[in-house]
Amino acid sequence: MMAIRELKVCLLGDTGVGKSSIVCRFVQDHFDHNISPTIGASFMTKTVPCGNELHKFLIWDTAGQERFHSLAPMYYRGSAAAVIVYDITKQDSFHTLKKWVKELKEHGPENIVMAIAGNKCDLSDIREVPMKDARDYAESIGAIVVETSAKNAVNIEELFQGISRQIPPLDPHENSNNGAIKLGKQTSQTG
Amino acid sequence: MKKGPESRACPLAAPGNLVESNLDNNSSNGASAKEKDVLSSSQELENVQLKPSKETSRKKLCGYLNKLGIKGPIKTWKSRWFFYDETKCHLLYYRTAQDINPLGSIDLSSASFDCKMENGEGVFEIRTPSRVFTLKAISKQAMMYWLQQLQMRRWEFCSTQNRFPVGSSQLVNEPLAGRTNADNDDFLPLVKTPTEAVGLKAASLPAPQTSTALQNISLKHPWTEIQNTVYNICGSKQLWGNNGHVFNFSEFQEHPENLVEEQEAEMEAGCAVKEGTPEDGRMEPRLNWVRKARWMNSGFPGLHEELSRERNPTDKVSVLQQQILTLTEEVKSQKELVKLLHKALEAAQQEKRVSNMYLTAAEDKDRLELVRHKVRQIADLTSRLEALEQEKKELEQILALRDSHIQELKEHVQLLMEKNHAKQEVIMALTEQMARELSDSLQEANTITAETLYKQQEEIEHLKDDIDAYKTQNQFLNSEIHQVTRLWTSVAENEKALLMKCACLQARNCQMESKYLTVLRKLQEAVPGLPSSHAELVRNLIQEALQWDVKEEAEEGFNLNPVSEYDEYGFMTVPDYEVEDWKLLAKIQALEIKSNNLRSQEVVEKPLRDKWNSVGELSPSAELKSLIRSGIPVEHRQRVWRWIVSRHCSHLPDHYQRLLRQSKSTEHPACRQIELDLPRTLTNNKYFSSPTSQLIPKLRRVLLAFSWHNPAIGYCQGLNRLAAVALLVLEDEEFAFWCLVHIVENIMPADYYSDTLITSQVDQRVFKDFLSEKLPRLMAHFEQYRIDVSLITFNWFLVVFVDSLVSDILLRVWDAFLYEGTKVIFRYALAIFKYNEEEILRIHDSVEIYQYLRFFTRMIMDGRKLMNIAFNDLNPFPMKLLRNRRSVHREELETELCELEQIKAAYVKERAEQRPQDLQEVASEEEEEI
Repeated sequence: MMAIRELKVCLLGDTGVGKSSIVCRFVQDHFDHNISPTIGASFMTKTVPCGNELHKFLIWDTAGQERFHSLAPMYYRGSAAAVIVYDITKQDSFHTLKKWVKELKEHGPENIVMAIAGNKCDLSDIREVPMKDARDYAESIGAIVVETSAKNAVNIEELFQGISRQIPPLDPHENSNNGAIKLGKQTSQTG
Repeated sequence: MKKGPESRACPLAAPGNLVESNLDNNSSNGASAKEKDVLSSSQELENVQLKPSKETSRKKLCGYLNKLGIKGPIKTWKSRWFFYDETKCHLLYYRTAQDINPLGSIDLSSASFDCKMENGEGVFEIRTPSRVFTLKAISKQAMMYWLQQLQMRRWEFCSTQNRFPVGSSQLVNEPLAGRTNADNDDFLPLVKTPTEAVGLKAASLPAPQTSTALQNISLKHPWTEIQNTVYNICGSKQLWGNNGHVFNFSEFQEHPENLVEEQEAEMEAGCAVKEGTPEDGRMEPRLNWVRKARWMNSGFPGLHEELSRERNPTDKVSVLQQQILTLTEEVKSQKELVKLLHKALEAAQQEKRVSNMYLTAAEDKDRLELVRHKVRQIADLTSRLEALEQEKKELEQILALRDSHIQELKEHVQLLMEKNHAKQEVIMALTEQMARELSDSLQEANTITAETLYKQQEEIEHLKDDIDAYKTQNQFLNSEIHQVTRLWTSVAENEKALLMKCACLQARNCQMESKYLTVLRKLQEAVPGLPSSHAELVRNLIQEALQWDVKEEAEEGFNLNPVSEYDEYGFMTVPDYEVEDWKLLAKIQALEIKSNNLRSQEVVEKPLRDKWNSVGELSPSAELKSLIRSGIPVEHRQRVWRWIVSRHCSHLPDHYQRLLRQSKSTEHPACRQIELDLPRTLTNNKYFSSPTSQLIPKLRRVLLAFSWHNPAIGYCQGLNRLAAVALLVLEDEEFAFWCLVHIVENIMPADYYSDTLITSQVDQRVFKDFLSEKLPRLMAHFEQYRIDVSLITFNWFLVVFVDSLVSDILLRVWDAFLYEGTKVIFRYALAIFKYNEEEILRIHDSVEIYQYLRFFTRMIMDGRKLMNIAFNDLNPFPMKLLRNRRSVHREELETELCELEQIKAAYVKERAEQRPQDLQEVASEEEEEI
């Protein structure tokens, strides 16, 4: 019997970058052009096998508009990972991403796994944010970075698999949800 | 002779003039004729008064009338004295009453009388076969008198002529007179004698005409005029002379030749003196004179007869004496005449002397001169005679012409009369024919009527039979309809019940199905850990279930209860979920809503609808509040919402348009976010799901206008949903705008949608307080599983349940929310938890609880039940408590935020101190990685 680990993941990012779409694609494998904007937050779960464990993602999708930022702590509190999404066609959204990273670093849980998703990669011909910028930034903060397309189901599974891998395996001696494993170790593992 | 005109004023010579006058009354000797006449007339008047019926016939009919002269170019009225001659039944007329010789006579025996009102007052006509006399009385009454009298006299004459020998003067015929009177009674009452105009008395008066005396002189009868004048003179002489020469009359009679000679001699002298043409002018008048004299004589025998008749009775001595007196007077007048003749003789002798002078003229020369003078005179006279003869001829010609003209006119008149007569005959014939036809057609109609009546009666009988037949048929059909209707009703009821049952069963089936699918899903999740045979089975079952699902959906098309895809406001009734179990859930929802509606239709909805239909003018009241809480029927919702909105928002005219202009000219910072959200608004509503939907531009304008209207808020995600719902219900763009304003600025507390959404967060804390107060068990459950309900409920409050509740319930919540305010949100939020309390309490896993909470609002199908919980079970719900809690929590939150800021600041400071070390570490790690 495989052990099920519940992992709380929150999605952050500017409005309209495709947070809900990524969740929708990941959970339901479905894409809707006009998915309703999230007010407050939206909650979804998906169980993914990872090694000899089952990772049950408890995904909290948040509202993108800036005035909802004040609510964000409710969602990222106790999160194992945060997916920070930007729109590769909008430079602004990348700027907002940086703000989120900063906030997470300041108020977020310690050791939270951060994954940067450059969404709408299907629209690369109108790209505003170069791949390199994102990669460089991700490296600077020690975050996973991947360019995704919720519309075309590009790198969505991979994004969450990446997160799964970043989550340290459950220590039988520790009951804590919050795997207090050093970032350095994890990166070395992936590498 | 020159005294002629004056003589009219002279006393009247009664016996000579009025031959027919009542002789009895001429007895007063020595008195003037005028006096006598007055006397006689007054006596006559008395007679009339005393014994009118008897004396009427005896009364002399005489008086002045105007006669229309027919000869000559100008027709003029001439005053004439008319006198009726009983013996001959002639009406004689004179110039004056004193004249002895009449100007003419009218034979009444063969005459007819006529009066025409159109000719003028008092004008009447006497028609004889030879001539028409037009006469005029002074008044209408007088005219009538004349006509009646003339009629009477004519009748008397005609009747007496038949009975008695001609010339009989026996006029008194009482039965006849009576009859005449009686006859008159039939037509006209006997006209009273107009004493001033008729009778002998009138003779004494001057002719009533105002015209000159000359006008009255008859041009037609010049000789009669002269004669009358002469007679008048003679009459005067008789009076003066007082010699009785009665026998003159008889002498005239016996020796008419002598008289003629005598008169001739006299006239010769008169003419010589008067005209100075003794020889030539004498001829014609003399002939006339002879004629007149003869006529006069022929008129006189009546007197003699009368006299002889009256002489026969022996006791008439006094009468004779009187007669003697009269005759004596006549003798006087005759003497006067003799004198006159003597004078004439003298004149003749004078002439004789002149002749003698001539004869005895001394010289032939003188004689010749005289003869020459005479010859010249004769030649002159001859030429004058010729001229006169010429003139006479001409006049005769003219006369002949006139006569022929008259003849023509007469013929014409005759013709016209004939024509008239013919026309009258035609008219008569036609009238008769018409009368005949009228009577004929009437008869015909009668017969037809009778026939048709009979037919119609028959027909009526038939129809009555038919009616009876139809009545019975109708009754039967009525009973049939009644029965069939009852059958139909019961069948319909059965059907309805079956449908409801079916819906319930379907719902239950779907629930079962969903549960089964849930189980399958769980099994699928567990597949990796299952034995391969079991895993295979599970996979097969899932496959089968999905196919069955498709098959079932196909069958749904023939379902008796097809759930329409969209509701009245365009919301999808069955949300198009992509995940299978959600699909099933949606189906369950739709079916449950349907069955709920079916169940509540008759019991709740209909009476409510009736109540709403009776609501006229809207005014705030407890009754209206409870009605609104039960939900406004679709057909009334817009009206009520508009009323609520306009009650709270003072519609500034042009404000909205101004905002629109502003938003067009300047781009609001919120514009980008609005554009981003527009296509993502109410995606489950057909009016918004399509990018080409007409409501999207409207929504854009409303949101842009609002962002300018309230720059402090600008645009907050969620306002798009509020505005969208407002647009769906209110339709009008401006109303939707004001509705949004009403919600944001009136209903919600300040800062609900502003930068930090602080009051929204406050409300979440307040709500948790209420939850632990009203549903303590549930709250304890949540605390046990570390469930933060605000993660779920936050958006309920922010967008007033849009996208959380099914549209049917959502709009009912909105009805109450718009009318009552935020408390409604609290009530419903609590009610939603209470509605599902037991269900939640059964779940003992935090993730499961969250999963459940994510969808549980959509699982609420019974709006009535929810409403009852919200407004009844949760009471009391004092507003004061809500306000207090809000203020308390706001304070708390603000201090917390403040602390958080302080912590943040402290952290930033700490981080800043640690930074170099951290950075080193990171950098080393990166190096390591590489």
